[in-house]
Amino acid sequence: MSPNENEPVLSMLSNAMADAVEKAAAGTVLVNARRRFPASGVAFAPGLVLTASHVVEKDEDIPVVFPDGDQVKGVLAGRDPSSDLAVIRIESELPALVESSPGAARVGQLVLALGRPTEEGIQASLGVVSAVRGPVQTRRGGLLEGHIRTDAIPYPGFSGGPLVDASGRMLGLNTSGLTRGASLAIPVKIALQIAESLVKHGSVRRGYLGVRSQPVEIPTSQQAGLGRQQASGLLLVGVESDSPAAEAGLMVGDILTGFAGEPVSDPDDLIARLAGEVVDKKVRLEVLRAGQQQELTVTIGERK
Amino acid sequence: MKMKASPDELRFPSQLSDQIDALCKRAYQSLVVCHNGKHGAGAGVIWGDEGLVVTNYHVIRRSTPRISLLDGREQKAEVIARARQLDLALLKIEMPADQAAVSAADSRQLRIGQFVLALGHPWGQIGSLSAGIISSLGSIKLGWRGRKVPVIRTDARLAPGNSGGPLLDAGGRVIGINSMIMGGDLGVAIPSHVVADFIRQEIGQQSPALEF
Repeated sequence: MSPNENEPVLSMLSNAMADAVEKAAAGTVLVNARRRFPASGVAFAPGLVLTASHVVEKDEDIPVVFPDGDQVKGVLAGRDPSSDLAVIRIESELPALVESSPGAARVGQLVLALGRPTEEGIQASLGVVSAVRGPVQTRRGGLLEGHIRTDAIPYPGFSGGPLVDASGRMLGLNTSGLTRGASLAIPVKIALQIAESLVKHGSVRRGYLGVRSQPVEIPTSQQAGLGRQQASGLLLVGVESDSPAAEAGLMVGDILTGFAGEPVSDPDDLIARLAGEVVDKKVRLEVLRAGQQQELTVTIGERK
Repeated sequence: MKMKASPDELRFPSQLSDQIDALCKRAYQSLVVCHNGKHGAGAGVIWGDEGLVVTNYHVIRRSTPRISLLDGREQKAEVIARARQLDLALLKIEMPADQAAVSAADSRQLRIGQFVLALGHPWGQIGSLSAGIISSLGSIKLGWRGRKVPVIRTDARLAPGNSGGPLLDAGGRVIGINSMIMGGDLGVAIPSHVVADFIRQEIGQQSPALEF
């Protein structure tokens, strides 16, 4: 969006936000699967709806209402109470899917929270990203790999609805079921990874490596050796003894840059990889050690 | 990893602020305070050049309110009509020379997500501004015997004292009259087209200053 002589910027912003709501609303559905108020869901793949686990109190005959008012009955494909995510399978091609934002949420970024708890139409609230944080202990004793906080008002029934950017692309999934009293959003990258696992297996097994890390910039002189555009990696600041990482020979001071051929440039990348289908699998890790690129093979454990 | 913002991008937020500032100043010219002599004050909007003032029924109820401008000048007011089932009331004041009626937009053309500003006197703070978006559109029953009335819902912060004040769009035009708060954080406004119908019905003429 660039300022334009003919249209006042405030009107441009207003129209852009209404466009964003309209775009994301097309893939935001009503999920009526709990005794009290219905909640929301997001069509993320053909025939699949992502929602919050705590709003789905049954496994079958789950009424899902589309934006045009059509109703279908879905079945639970799987749920992960630890991240408060559930996937519902429906025998229908939804009219539209909600597009994911390619980038991670940034503090200060303009966001819109959407929900469809009634058949009256889409509902929305405006805010900014207040914080983007790492792992959070959830109410059910689980650990969520990351979360987004926003000051957009979470109206009743917004759980399971999308948090979108100013272009209507999903940054996260809203839920009030993870922490008492506060509403937060599960970053889309993590949410979709978990959803994939739920679709395949009905549950989530999380990989365990046994490292503590922080993102660092990779010196320009060393970037060439990576064979791809990548400006940052994860500096290992701790390696737990007897962990898969220790057995593979990872050392404090290594910069982890790749996981199974995919770049690792921030903690979200690693967490997303570990939430995938990796438990008990042998995975090739790329690290920079003393400026030299090395490859190590690790057998991923399971996080209990 | 950070990209440099172009000069245009850097100007964008300050242009937004400047425009909100200008809209607000313009809208102040049509904002009044309605005192009902009992419990606090509400807001009102000068609607049309003839000095018509729209406010909520619940701000004045059966009283004849005192109207004052933002600088404290009092205006004699006459009640023209009250509609409890719409929570609207129509008053008339002598149009002060330095005030200007607001223009209204067609509230049948609203979009969820569009930017809104609310002006009023929350907790007695005269002429306070809050910003948000249209959160949803729908209808509700006003009163236990009332018929359904279309409403605009907004996430713009409202508080007691906002009642009767304008909900404005990004062009500074009135799209509704802020009327109530639900659940502490959801503002509810009566759309401008309902206000226009009400005025037309009560004074039997085309509602003034409707930019449809």
